[in-house]
Amino acid sequence: MKVAVYWGCRILTSQYAYEMSVREAFPKLGVELVDLREAICCGDPVKSINDFASNYLGAKVLALANSTGLTDLLVPCNRCHFVVSEARRLMDEDENTHSKIAALLKEEGLSYNPEVKVWHVIDFLHDHVGLGCVRKAVVKPWKGMKLAVHHGCQILRYSDLGRVDDAEDPRKLDELIEAIGAETVDYAEKLDCCGSHLMYSHVDSGLSLAGQKLKAVQSLGVDGLVVSCPDCGTMFDARQKDAATTAGAKLNLPVLYYTQLLGLALGIEQSKLGLHLNQSPVDQLLSKVSV
Amino acid sequence: MGLTDLMSMAKPNLESRGKILRKLRGRDLVNCFQCMKCTSGCTALKLLELEPHEIEKLVNFGFVDELASSDIIWTCVTCLKCVQRCPQKASPYHVIMALRNLSVEREAKVPEALMKAVSQILETGLAESYQKVTTRKMETCDRESLKLPKISAPTESFQAIFMKALEER
Repeated sequence: MKVAVYWGCRILTSQYAYEMSVREAFPKLGVELVDLREAICCGDPVKSINDFASNYLGAKVLALANSTGLTDLLVPCNRCHFVVSEARRLMDEDENTHSKIAALLKEEGLSYNPEVKVWHVIDFLHDHVGLGCVRKAVVKPWKGMKLAVHHGCQILRYSDLGRVDDAEDPRKLDELIEAIGAETVDYAEKLDCCGSHLMYSHVDSGLSLAGQKLKAVQSLGVDGLVVSCPDCGTMFDARQKDAATTAGAKLNLPVLYYTQLLGLALGIEQSKLGLHLNQSPVDQLLSKVSV
Repeated sequence: MGLTDLMSMAKPNLESRGKILRKLRGRDLVNCFQCMKCTSGCTALKLLELEPHEIEKLVNFGFVDELASSDIIWTCVTCLKCVQRCPQKASPYHVIMALRNLSVEREAKVPEALMKAVSQILETGLAESYQKVTTRKMETCDRESLKLPKISAPTESFQAIFMKALEER
């Protein structure tokens, strides 16, 4: 099956491991990725500045997807997924905004198509590819591994918008991890935020939120924390040391993207999945398994 | 400055309140009955003292000018728990975003990093600039060395059209 893919900003500019692991793992499951012809921002930081301009960018992403001729769009970033979903709802429900945005899109030869469906990595793999297909493709199962999952905020809330999983009891990422042989744990802080958005205005508070969640996860005695959003990945992996300092905690927790774990289970080599790019101590987790 | 200090002797401004309600496109702000579910689950409450139910109440009373110039609207982490849990669909997150937009229109103090992201989008299409990253063994990598495809820039007309979009209120 073919799917258009919109990466957003952060994956393309710094969270390369997420991009590499999606590009490697998806074809192994029979999914061909088609990049959009332009790389633009989804409008996330613009939401705080000008709602209309933000929705124009979100709608442009959908229009670029439409121009590929495909009706499935994969958006691996939680924030982009939310912003594009809100833009889509506005285009469908607010005639006035729709006509203004459609006119701007027309200037670039683009058009909005309500048929384009927006997927995240989690629901695409869980619902579209299917757990059975994932299970069948595994060649190196993650046996004996205990992991905590972090879904992130914006693919779960708010349910009215149509989100990736249940807002209060999300299970899909847990099930995807079980499908590749590992087990997951439930914990009280599962729905807590990584703090990423505060990096625009209150850096210490943002890092403190990340640090507190990491501390809670580490105390569970798990082998690692699994994420599937480039913002959460940045906060928990790349900024783990800063988060530890701010939260006054000693942190030493491997943090990986789900697609990195999946890629290893599918038999892809570590360097192709960007596992050398993680800044958290993932070696301690990798050394525990034969993969 | 806490909200109480900000509000002393303030008078409601119904015109500004109308502006926020228009931006909310019919979200049911006036139905808020102060149950405080939003505040009890707010991620920014403990660290930054954000109390979304207060924001709802103040906008309903018309104390919008004070909020639009306050730092408190920039403490929201956008976790969306308040939207999810509000029994009245009063959507504190969207109210806060509308207040931020109004604050920008009035050229009040806006976090520099956010303005920078917008000018970065105007310049390159993306909100962030390309970074070289280092491996755990301190080797430097970029898209090319990682064999990731080149990124295609937006069309030439993008900047002008995005500017046009930014002029909409």
